[in-house]
Amino acid sequence: MSYPILSTVIFLPLAGALVIFLIKRSNESLIKWTALVLSLLTFAVSLPLFTGFDKTTADMQFRETYQWVPSWGINYALGVDGISVLFVLLSTLLTVLCVTVSWNSIKDRTKEFFAALLLIEGSMVGVFCSLDLFLFYIFWEAMLIPMYLLIGVWGGPNRVYAAIKFFLYTLVGSLLMLIGIIVLYFNTGRSFDVLQMMTTNYPYHLQLLLFWAFFAAFAVKVPMFPVHTWLPDAHTEAPTAGSVILAGILIKMGAYGFLRFSMPILPEASREMAPLMMVLSVIGIIYGGLICLGQTDIKRLIAYSSVSHMGFVTLGIFALNIQGVQGGILQMINHGIVTGALFLSIGIIYDRTHTRQIADYGGVATVLPVYAAFFMVFTLSSIGLPGTNGFVGEFLILLGGFTASNVLGVFAATGIIIGAAYMLWLYQRVFFLDVNPKVRSYKDMNLREVLTLLPLLLLVLWIGIYPNTFLSFMDASVQHLVQRVNTAGQPQMAQQIIEVIR
Amino acid sequence: MNSADFIALLPLIVPALASVVLLLLITFSRSHAVSVLFTLGSLLLSFLLLFVAGGGTPRRVTPLFIMDAYSLFFIGLLFIAGIVVAVMSSRYLGERSMERGEYYVLLLLATLGASVLAAGSHFASFFAGLEILSVSLYTLIAYRRNDDRGNEAGLKYLILAAASSSFLLFGMALVYAQTGSMDFFQLAEGGRVPDLTVVLSAGLLLITVGVGFKLAVVPFHLWTPDVYEGAPAPVAAFIATSSKGAIFALLMRYFSLMDLQRFPAVWYGIAGIAVASMLIGNLLALRQNNLKRILAYSSIAHMGYLLVAVLAGGTVAKTAVGYYLAAYFATMLGAFGVIAFLSGEEGDAENLEAYRGMAWSRPWTAGVFVAMLLSLAGIPLTAGFIGKFYVVAAGAGAALWIPLIVLVAGSTIGLYYYLRIVAVLYGRVPEGEGGAVTGFPGRVLGMTGGILLTVLTFALLWLGVYPAPLIRILQATVARLVP
Amino acid sequence: MNPMTPGSYMPTEYFPVLITMVIASAVGFGALFVGNLFRLKRAYREKLMAYESGNPPLEEPRYRFNVKFYIIAMLFVVFDVEAVFLYPWAIVYDKIGLYALIEMLLFIVVLVVGYVYAWKKEAFVWD
Repeated sequence: MSYPILSTVIFLPLAGALVIFLIKRSNESLIKWTALVLSLLTFAVSLPLFTGFDKTTADMQFRETYQWVPSWGINYALGVDGISVLFVLLSTLLTVLCVTVSWNSIKDRTKEFFAALLLIEGSMVGVFCSLDLFLFYIFWEAMLIPMYLLIGVWGGPNRVYAAIKFFLYTLVGSLLMLIGIIVLYFNTGRSFDVLQMMTTNYPYHLQLLLFWAFFAAFAVKVPMFPVHTWLPDAHTEAPTAGSVILAGILIKMGAYGFLRFSMPILPEASREMAPLMMVLSVIGIIYGGLICLGQTDIKRLIAYSSVSHMGFVTLGIFALNIQGVQGGILQMINHGIVTGALFLSIGIIYDRTHTRQIADYGGVATVLPVYAAFFMVFTLSSIGLPGTNGFVGEFLILLGGFTASNVLGVFAATGIIIGAAYMLWLYQRVFFLDVNPKVRSYKDMNLREVLTLLPLLLLVLWIGIYPNTFLSFMDASVQHLVQRVNTAGQPQMAQQIIEVIR
Repeated sequence: MNSADFIALLPLIVPALASVVLLLLITFSRSHAVSVLFTLGSLLLSFLLLFVAGGGTPRRVTPLFIMDAYSLFFIGLLFIAGIVVAVMSSRYLGERSMERGEYYVLLLLATLGASVLAAGSHFASFFAGLEILSVSLYTLIAYRRNDDRGNEAGLKYLILAAASSSFLLFGMALVYAQTGSMDFFQLAEGGRVPDLTVVLSAGLLLITVGVGFKLAVVPFHLWTPDVYEGAPAPVAAFIATSSKGAIFALLMRYFSLMDLQRFPAVWYGIAGIAVASMLIGNLLALRQNNLKRILAYSSIAHMGYLLVAVLAGGTVAKTAVGYYLAAYFATMLGAFGVIAFLSGEEGDAENLEAYRGMAWSRPWTAGVFVAMLLSLAGIPLTAGFIGKFYVVAAGAGAALWIPLIVLVAGSTIGLYYYLRIVAVLYGRVPEGEGGAVTGFPGRVLGMTGGILLTVLTFALLWLGVYPAPLIRILQATVARLVP
Repeated sequence: MNPMTPGSYMPTEYFPVLITMVIASAVGFGALFVGNLFRLKRAYREKLMAYESGNPPLEEPRYRFNVKFYIIAMLFVVFDVEAVFLYPWAIVYDKIGLYALIEMLLFIVVLVVGYVYAWKKEAFVWD
């Protein structure tokens, strides 16, 4: 490659945010167009990652390494492998859609809004590319500030509460992870190099402590069952673009953290803790699903469905077999696409009606037929209907889950049924039944809105029909990862088993 | 004393002389501009002389002072802080009709006292420096003569500082009675402090009370919010930074020379103070609506974080303390700077509600303030993060798990009130009459303010993004403090 | 002075002072205590009045002084302390020599600057 792609993808949006800051506030259309052009440009720049990616190796690609703080052994190290490359692309794609969906709905402080959006994009990509734990932590935290502002300034009525709750939850986890990172640093011969950590074998008790330190950060982000309560508030209060980014990418960072750091660096602890994680995941699946049934607010319902869907993801990941992990990663992408699309769709109708209450809708399908069609596809994908991407992901996860534990597999499968129940019921209440007089006068989607949803619709079908395009990216990396988790420290295990047998 | 001694001491002599000359100067010509320029000039000269004095380090000048790389670093930091405070004050006083010249005399003296502390190696210089600092501060705090809160603050500080000084003196006397020396370096020699006897521990306890008061750590913190609130904003900045930083520098030297961490009683005492400061400082800040009071409580918590590094001991911890203090100085000065520059004749801009929606009418000013707040909270890309990272690293290296967990809890609580301020800054302004949006009612930063705060913000980000140069400096200075 | 070893130093030469202080306090407090046992306790209005050498008090015992008294008093203290410093200085002057002279001159110069300041501030003008 002739130019450092990853750095460009990270810093182009950041520079864009600066440019937007310098534009005059009153010149709104210039601000919007700058944001759109820059996000499109970033997406274009990130495309070589898709085309130029070598699928046969599990090694890091597109690497960049520079010294940063030599006395601490901190490097500016970037690189992607089959696990992270798709997330980079998803981030750049969703940002473009966030810009278009916010085109008319953000009416005040446009300048700051789009600047914040681009700042988030840059740091999100940074999180997925960092190969230095220190750098990773910086991006991980840096993203919080614009996200906080996005929720806190442009959000719904209860925005300040939601924003602060979101920030505090994440920060507690992050700080515990920071301590974990520093402990890891001292135990890796004073290095923050992730690749070096992946090949180091740490003592088991240390792994266990570190696992929980990292768990604190990642589980909050995912969010896993007991620490998920920030998510409904944040998702509900955030503006559409904020919800899309939260659901589409931000919460993937937790699961990504498990895959990138917890599992390869702390394989024995991950193995030991996997059953517990799977139980938590299944609780999340069922609990999230049941709560969805009782929601009266569309956005809140989708938010809780994220808890359920992310339960599937972590279930797959901690099944610790190839099908499960692949399914988990694919489901992360799927969830990013589908939930992103659902939030975008809700945003589109919200711009018209300014209500999120299910009771305020009804019969929308007769008034906005095109919109209803789009929403149907995303609903079906969310349920996991064959032919859509949701099916592929959930199928793989359940395959992996059953291999790991039959009982948990059965429970997880009931989650799909619950999912079908709440999503179809939602669809029925919003789109069918009698036409609510409140929605009678609204116009169907315009071209901008169709163009926003269309790419996601195509992706839903693409992954649903031919998932191999995407699965092939992660084959080598996932194989490598699963092997690392299942074999590291094996001799000791064998020893223990032998002792037990005796 | 010979000429080499004089050269080594020049950075202390110049501000001392300057304060006397300035006093004469204002006797005959009361020009605010001249006073400011003279103060800035002499502080700058003293700062430059540090590099001259650095030639022959480390040098013991009489038993009272030690001019080594360690003290030079902290003196340099104190001089920079002095310059920043002087610039802040020039605008602050310029807005008000009050006697101005004396302020700068006192500021010079306070900086001198702080520097004496940083270079002190003897109980006598310790006490002398502390008194020069405190006595100047009494007056500076009550400088707004017609303000009731200012007078209250000054009086409060006077009484409590005097009481704490007497505790300190008695403690010194007891330590002297036990060890037979007031010289830190003699104390450090083998066998002087073999054991923690009753007299010695009583002495150390009393010294802790005296020092704890100055550092405003829990449970000696009660004066802090009132004094910060009553003092003029630049003076509050000075108390939060120079006064504390100097004591901290001296404390760390004293501790590492006497190797006090080896006594479990001392260690647990400091651990208790650190934990209490982190928790209580942050908790008490939660429900404040006055920015100066919030910053006061926040500074209590920050001293707690710093003490965690002291507990850890070792080279990393010293570098950590150095970095943290430098970052903390830049941040606190910036935060108080915003308040100082936005304050007018009618009072300090300290009411949180007055800032509602400032980000929309004054994005850059608000941006600077947010940067300072995030640095206080320890969010990455700011100096505060690297400082906190360093402290956590020192703590983790010494396996101080409980203080670290408390640090995490404290930081989280702290984040809440920093975010509250950010939320107010970015809040929606209540619409005024006829839909007109009312902007921030206070004044504009002005050119001095703009330049100063820009410099501080850049320093903050520079330290946060590229910490390597400062780390190198610290490793050449602070880390070389010989135990 | 005795060579001091850590922890063993006892200021024995001040022991008589301690004894004197203890006896003096004992006598004083003892007299009050004993008197309290025997004396009559009958309070009446005139007896509780402030004692002004037999005259009835004319006004409130607390009223404001002119602040100038304080300024004069403070200046007096400063120069008084200077005089206190001069005594020991004069005694050891022989041993230290020129160096002592310079140091004392510095001290006095600083004081003079303060004096000039106070003068110019009209601290000595009464009206």
